[in-house]
Amino acid sequence: MTKILVLITHPPFGHENTFAGLYVASTALSKGLEVTVAMTGDGVYAGRKGQVDPLANINMPSTEDQVRDIIDLGGRAIVDQGALLERGIMQEELIEGLEIQPLGKIHDVMLDEGGIIVTF
Amino acid sequence: MVEKKKTLTMMLFTGPYGSQYADHMCRIADRALDKGYGVQIFLYGDGVHSQLKGQNPKAFFNVGEALTKLAEKGAVIKSCVRCSQARGYVEGEFDEKESRYPSSKAINVVKIYSLYGYVEMLGNTDKAITLGSSN
Repeated sequence: MTKILVLITHPPFGHENTFAGLYVASTALSKGLEVTVAMTGDGVYAGRKGQVDPLANINMPSTEDQVRDIIDLGGRAIVDQGALLERGIMQEELIEGLEIQPLGKIHDVMLDEGGIIVTF
Repeated sequence: MVEKKKTLTMMLFTGPYGSQYADHMCRIADRALDKGYGVQIFLYGDGVHSQLKGQNPKAFFNVGEALTKLAEKGAVIKSCVRCSQARGYVEGEFDEKESRYPSSKAINVVKIYSLYGYVEMLGNTDKAITLGSSN
């Protein structure tokens, strides 16, 4: 089975990157690919829960819904522990089902588990 | 023993000008084709503007012409329908016969397609590169 890792490095709003990357992840899952999403840097903001209807408020889709869909579809979603600490984001603020790992572990996944890496 | 042809897939996520990502992508693709790779390109986000007909940069690398030459050398090039629709390229429903969404504004060598087109490329590649997603 083809494996892909989608690396998210941008915050959920202000750029199209995070939406676009998560859209690739969910599309790949729906086609039966094995998908890991890794959020690092400002990408970890996409792991926070509690977005208040961004489509209605700022005309951008909810990346929280996208992350929840990815987990529901069986995707693995990892957030960078160090990037969370730097930004003062606590575990209880994160979407349920996200895996918190140190950056080195995320690099191990990228380097050791094979597959294709696409960055956003 | 015959060696299996390797495949390179590239996604362009930024417009044809304003940065050199499209230029880099086309040059990498050209080199890969010369080395015997199969090349697949997917235009995503603002990257779909590289499909615009009639590009006429005075000083820069002409990305539309470069894509046409790459397709003539065998590259498969698709673009995202959702991104293309948002930017005014799509002019109708999916054409089953042509296996593309219609557009008189896009160069013919680029097939406007769903994001499944990219996933299918990823499912059939040895290497993948994304360009332009860092800005």
